[in-house]
Amino acid sequence: MPRRAPRLRRAVQAEWTKLRTVPSLPWLLAVAVGLTVLGSAGALASVDTSQCPTPSECFEDTTKLSLTGIWLGQAAVVVLGVLAMGSEYGTGTIGSTLAATPSRRLVLLAKAVAVSAVALVAGVLGVLGSLAAGRAILPGNGFTSANGYEPLSLADGPTLRAAAGTVLYLGLVALLSLGVATAVRDTAGAITGVLLLLYAFPIVAGLVSDPAWQRRLARYGPMEAGLSIQNTTRLDDLPIAPWPGLGVLATYAGVALLSGLLLFQVRDA
Amino acid sequence: MGGHDPFGRLVLAEWTKLRSVPRWMMALAAVVGLTLLVAVFDKASDQGSPAEEGEPLQKPDFSDQFHFVHQPLTGDGSIVAHVVSQEDSHEWAKAGLIMKERLEVGAPYAAVLVTPDHGVRMQWDFDHDVAGSDDGAAPRWLRLTRSGDVVTGYESTDARNWQQVGEVDLDDLPSTVEVGLFVASPDAVVITRQYGSNSVNETPTRGEAVFDNVSVEADGSSPSPADGEWSDYDSADEPVFRGSSTESDGVFTVMGSGDIAEVRRPFGDDLVELSLSGAAVGMLAAAALGALFMTAEFKRGMIRTTFAASPGRGRVLAAKAIVLGGATFAAGLVASVIAFLVSQATLRHTSRDPGLPELSLANLTVLRAVVGTAVLIALVAVLSLAVATIVRHTALAIPLVVLPLLVPSLVEGGLPLSVENWLTRLTPAAGFAVQQTITRYDTAIAPLVGLGVLAAYVAVALAVATLLLRRRDA
Amino acid sequence: MVAAMDATIEVRGVHKRYGRTTAVDDLSFTVRPGQVTGFVGPNGAGKSTTLRVILGLDAPDEGTALVGGRPYRTLRTPLLHVGALLDATAVHPARRARDHLGWMAQSNGIPGARVDEVLELVGLTSAARRRAGGLSLGMLQRLGIAGAVLGDAPTLLFDEPVNGLDPDGIRWIRGFLRSLAAEGRAVLVSSHLMSELEDTADHLVVIGRGRLIADTSVRDLVAAASKDQILLRTPGRSEAMTLLANAGATVTAGDHGTLTVSGLPAERVVALLGERGLPVMEVTQHRASLEEAYMELTRDALDYEAVALEES
Repeated sequence: MPRRAPRLRRAVQAEWTKLRTVPSLPWLLAVAVGLTVLGSAGALASVDTSQCPTPSECFEDTTKLSLTGIWLGQAAVVVLGVLAMGSEYGTGTIGSTLAATPSRRLVLLAKAVAVSAVALVAGVLGVLGSLAAGRAILPGNGFTSANGYEPLSLADGPTLRAAAGTVLYLGLVALLSLGVATAVRDTAGAITGVLLLLYAFPIVAGLVSDPAWQRRLARYGPMEAGLSIQNTTRLDDLPIAPWPGLGVLATYAGVALLSGLLLFQVRDA
Repeated sequence: MGGHDPFGRLVLAEWTKLRSVPRWMMALAAVVGLTLLVAVFDKASDQGSPAEEGEPLQKPDFSDQFHFVHQPLTGDGSIVAHVVSQEDSHEWAKAGLIMKERLEVGAPYAAVLVTPDHGVRMQWDFDHDVAGSDDGAAPRWLRLTRSGDVVTGYESTDARNWQQVGEVDLDDLPSTVEVGLFVASPDAVVITRQYGSNSVNETPTRGEAVFDNVSVEADGSSPSPADGEWSDYDSADEPVFRGSSTESDGVFTVMGSGDIAEVRRPFGDDLVELSLSGAAVGMLAAAALGALFMTAEFKRGMIRTTFAASPGRGRVLAAKAIVLGGATFAAGLVASVIAFLVSQATLRHTSRDPGLPELSLANLTVLRAVVGTAVLIALVAVLSLAVATIVRHTALAIPLVVLPLLVPSLVEGGLPLSVENWLTRLTPAAGFAVQQTITRYDTAIAPLVGLGVLAAYVAVALAVATLLLRRRDA
Repeated sequence: MVAAMDATIEVRGVHKRYGRTTAVDDLSFTVRPGQVTGFVGPNGAGKSTTLRVILGLDAPDEGTALVGGRPYRTLRTPLLHVGALLDATAVHPARRARDHLGWMAQSNGIPGARVDEVLELVGLTSAARRRAGGLSLGMLQRLGIAGAVLGDAPTLLFDEPVNGLDPDGIRWIRGFLRSLAAEGRAVLVSSHLMSELEDTADHLVVIGRGRLIADTSVRDLVAAASKDQILLRTPGRSEAMTLLANAGATVTAGDHGTLTVSGLPAERVVALLGERGLPVMEVTQHRASLEEAYMELTRDALDYEAVALEES
């Protein structure tokens, strides 16, 4: 009997093959990166030091501003994460998948690895593109060193943290989507659910009258908390600190994956 | 029922399809539930806060602040002046002639004036405004004539040909009134960016205008006004807002701040809009339902059965749109009525703007907002139906529909207001404007115009979808 | 291929309910290597459920299903032990046929060359690079069969493998199934059409309404259904019918002027007819077709019985 590769490696190989052999993957990747960079460029282009009381009194977090596009790009990553499991139920291939790999835990883990890898790549490309846009656009809008704004650079600690954190954010969004899709088994429901989780929190937070609840929603909303990692200035004034904020998103993703796994193991295929 | 009408039968068939899938009915219920989420949440978190300490500030409904260079006029007569120039301190800065019953805040008046951006106007009693010529800005001749209780305003470019701007009958006008030149300039809303967000402030502006060729004439037996005996009056309490005037050789330079008009509340809370705001969340379920209603047909080739049963593909889409739109409209209406009623009490408690009027569904504006919200939700569902027909995959359709609807509210605060407004006007999110009942500093587009923008998106999407349905293989 | 002992499928007391419907009720049977076992029953009898339980896709409420003595879910490289075709249309429409088998192979450490091998085996080499959405039902069926034999497993499960195949394909698969069994594999083929199993299956497991109705060899089943049935040909058909009916036999008229008589031994029938002077042109022991045997057997177990259209 020839020695076979460990189960996890085989499962990940199979999941990666599944991902890369459907035409939607390169598109989703391109849209994720494209929307991120375009969104960031748009935000950068719209902000100018002339809108501030005086150009040197802007106190603008230029790093956070140039990473704005992730708001848009993350939608493509949500679709990616949901489809990784949702399409199996939609096409009925879940039967073949579980026949080939009966361990539900292994299947979910392998999908998580494959999907987060793609999301991380999208994140790196999107973040690099956004920062490049920042370097190109900011000086033209008055954010020059004369006004106290150094050009964006990954050599700068906080900027590096914001950039790396944004990449991780995207990976966590992918995992959250995968978890929800596993729990719900329905593509449309999962996409709607994750979009609700991400986008509805800030909307609802803006609408409730009670300021205590507004702050609570800002601290515990997955997108708002997660994007706290992008802040490089005035860290004491944030509803939640950068890394704990990312931790909140990680918790959501973890809960989604865990409940998805439990349901996956217990339910009929 | 619908037996002889093939299209009627088609609609009935589509309705049967819709109501026979439990998941879809759940989505419909979710539309209601999610829309109510905010309202119920507010209600639950509202501790029933006690009334504010003391009486809420009774703010008057009008503002009567300006700088007045005046003389008394007894009996019938008129005043003429040439407005040489007016500083563009505000689009609604006012410079012109005014007749005021007496020198008291709130006293009746009639005025004819020029503005930098809104032409010549005649205004009286704080809430009446008649437009003169659109491009009427300084330099311009103005005349105000009193005859008995009737005051008439005129404008002219050359002092020879006069056009009447407006005429008003001020009841019980005393025989002696104060008449003269005035300048006012309302507070401007200034938005500055700092610390990555917008801070919005109202700052006073200072208006300035130059007048010459000023003359007051009394008719007949009335005592003629004394030449050169002009007085200054300024109704502002605080010295910093007080205006001033100088005169040399009959040329008056007058400066003033404030406004003579109904109070505008640029920062007022739009309680109706706030109570209906949950629709921004509920419409997500409507978008999901719309997409599913169509993509279900593509799965496993069910669409071939549908098209075999009714070869008119455009009509199938129309029937689906009608059924879906009707169902989501009904759900949306239930949700918005309940949301409005539930939220009113809570919002009044926590609003920073006391003294707001009681609102009810009997009010036409409120009704427009509530029913408009239901229309908005239905339009989103139908838009999703059309987009799903075009792209054929739910996973693609839902984000495509939802994201443009959410983008403007997401950039709120983080990007300049102008960007947010621009995005609101151009994207389907314009439809949310139908919920507005007051005009605020951040109002991007008129309510029904906004709904029209969304409707236009829906129409275009349906047209493209019909085209593709007919062309493509099932 | 793994050793023959590993091939046996054992279903013991399996009970499976979906909501209020009992799909499988106390089902026990064994599928042995070296033969083709037909798994038959009317639609809705519980065949697919049983297969899903065997493959670990659905968990039984009671009972066990073992493959080679082990539950499916404990296998680390299951495709090497059990190959299955459950639903040939369960493929991603945008994925190429070759890639569909590719990920399956990778998941169980099967070398890529095997994919090309099985594609050739089922005759899909030319369609290997086509997307699954563009394949006909017959081609999808072949793809599914290719997937089942990908791991060269000693145990094979096929759910309705003939579905969508043209006559050539049907003939091919019959031979294919038999050759697989001849190699010593345990082959389980489920179907709701008895006729297609007639020349393929050696052993039958018949279920109806979730319960086991028969677990027997094809020969025995046919024999049991055929016993006491005599095929008779005589010119005086109607007279013979009345005569034999009066003697206590059950008589039905058949094609081509034949009569099927049951309830009387052959000698007695011939004697009765001879007494009347009715010539007997042909007398044979009637061999029931598998179809007839099966219909007889499952008559009571039919959940969804079509009503014969009225003849006008």
